[in-house]
Amino acid sequence: MKIREEKLNDAVICILEGEININNSPDLRKAFDGLIKRNEKKLVVDFSGVSYIDSSGLATLIEMFQRLKKIGGALRFSNMEQKVKNIFEVTKLHKLFEIFDNREAALKDF
Amino acid sequence: MVSEIGIVIIEYLKWFKGVIFLFIDIFYWIVFGPFKGKFSRRQSIFQQMVFVGLRSIIIVVFVDIFTGIVLAMQTAYQLQKMGAVLYVASLVAISLCRELSPVLTALVVAGRAGSAISAELGTMKVTEQIEALETMAINPTRFLVVPRFLALLLMLPALTILGNLAGILGGYLVGTGSLHINPDLYMQTTFKYLELKDIYTGLIKSFAFGMIIALIGCYEGLNTRGGAEGVGKATTRSVVISFILIILVDCIITAIFYFSKI
Amino acid sequence: MSVKECKAESIISLRNVSKFFQGKTVIDDVNLDIYCGETFVIMGCSGSGKSTLLRLMTGAIRPDKGSVALKGRDIAKISSEELDEVRKTFGMTFQYSALLDSLNVEENIALPLREHTQLAEEIIKIIIKMKLSLVGLRGYEEYYPSQISGGMRKRVGLARAIALDPEIVFYDEPTSGLDPVVGGVIDKLIKDLSVKLMITSVVVTHDMHSVFEIADRISMIHKGKVVEVGTPEDIRNSKNEYIRQFINGSPSGPIDFFREDIGMEDVLDL
Repeated sequence: MKIREEKLNDAVICILEGEININNSPDLRKAFDGLIKRNEKKLVVDFSGVSYIDSSGLATLIEMFQRLKKIGGALRFSNMEQKVKNIFEVTKLHKLFEIFDNREAALKDF
Repeated sequence: MVSEIGIVIIEYLKWFKGVIFLFIDIFYWIVFGPFKGKFSRRQSIFQQMVFVGLRSIIIVVFVDIFTGIVLAMQTAYQLQKMGAVLYVASLVAISLCRELSPVLTALVVAGRAGSAISAELGTMKVTEQIEALETMAINPTRFLVVPRFLALLLMLPALTILGNLAGILGGYLVGTGSLHINPDLYMQTTFKYLELKDIYTGLIKSFAFGMIIALIGCYEGLNTRGGAEGVGKATTRSVVISFILIILVDCIITAIFYFSKI
Repeated sequence: MSVKECKAESIISLRNVSKFFQGKTVIDDVNLDIYCGETFVIMGCSGSGKSTLLRLMTGAIRPDKGSVALKGRDIAKISSEELDEVRKTFGMTFQYSALLDSLNVEENIALPLREHTQLAEEIIKIIIKMKLSLVGLRGYEEYYPSQISGGMRKRVGLARAIALDPEIVFYDEPTSGLDPVVGGVIDKLIKDLSVKLMITSVVVTHDMHSVFEIADRISMIHKGKVVEVGTPEDIRNSKNEYIRQFINGSPSGPIDFFREDIGMEDVLDL
């Protein structure tokens, strides 16, 4: 899995690539920790290159969601493949998260 | 007839082989486990230490105080005839530390903790919990046996020291109360003849006994077969075998100490 | 949540597998292929060898003859360390759920996560909540196995089996001893996991209702042999006498309840 960060105005776009699984989700968590430390409050996670996400990856996203909510921030997702979307739907997480079709829609009135 | 004896002997050899294999397995996990990053969790070792040690304190103290009292009265009966009542103190202390306290404590713990270990592991075996651990790629020896083994290895000597003190207290009660020995003189005589080696030979014994109790308790538990009845059988077997082995090993170790003049 | 690539090849394959116990043949020259993503049901009477077959697949027992391959690796021939690596990729539920009595629901599900991953405790807690809500048992984290019902225990067992997002889940009698409603709930869970998460399921059962509910393919085992393998439709329309008797639950037929080799003759000898 690769993690790339882009700064756009006051929002951060986190572009993920590859497979998010039990072995690399701690890396993702570390990247999120960094964002929290830098006091970034608006985060968009771009899933365009993600082929698969497992429970530990989902749990990492849920934790980030809770942390951002606590400091008054927000977490949005974009560019999700249908396969990955299915995983969110199975776990009923799609109701909890804000999922957008593309980055622009996600950044709109952020 | 001959074939029956043969079958019995083969059964014993199989049992012995199983116990030795478990012993090797335990040492493998204790010695090499930490290097693989897979050691038993400290939390479960502490849990077992509390169960084996802390919960046995009262019964151990109880048994050893009364043994001290009985021992003092029995030796006083003999020593009075020779006018050497004062030596009750050293006799009680030495025989307790070298022999009685390690053995009695081990027997009490075998009856209490050893049986509980085989009952618990036996129940886990017959309800497929052991198999479940294996299918989850969790080694039962590392996960279940090693914590119990370490707990007994540490707690039995500790309990034995406590038993020593309790026994000496029992002797002291008889010596000062009934035999009218001056309390200070009693304690002086106790420690005058009690040497450090008397204590550590007792502790070496209790280390060995701790291993026996854990090994037999776990082996019988893990090899339980056939439902609730099997658990009952395993528990009984573990206590009986532990008792026999404790006495046997006690005899062997005592002989070694005796002939090597320790 | 493993919606992984599923290739159309067998994920489990048994070749000429035999197993003997004390001179008796329990599994007799079995050949089976189970494909990725399907729900494969093994049915048969008690003592037919179906549980033994399942244990051969999980590596709990090793075959005396033949090979058992999981994802192309022969688990009968690999070392126990390698077997443990394979075991981390599948989950199993047990007939009596086999939860550890000394641990509560949360700790039971956390066990494989704590033992095999480096995940932070916070993440593990969230995963447990996700798995529990998947089996409909949120709020039971603090309960001990002895404090909940048999059906709940089985569901917790299922949550534990899928804790590490396995590719294969083995179910040993998932609905036995449950009332029809809870049985239906479990059936739906198995189906859901299989369809939505593309988990390959291998189910051992003799619950006929559940068999036709969940199966993609069914195999009938009798006296350690595979009698027939087919889709639920094939099995329902099968002319095979064993299968007809099993489906109808009739006491007389080729599956003999009374052993022919030991008749009543010996009674007269007394």
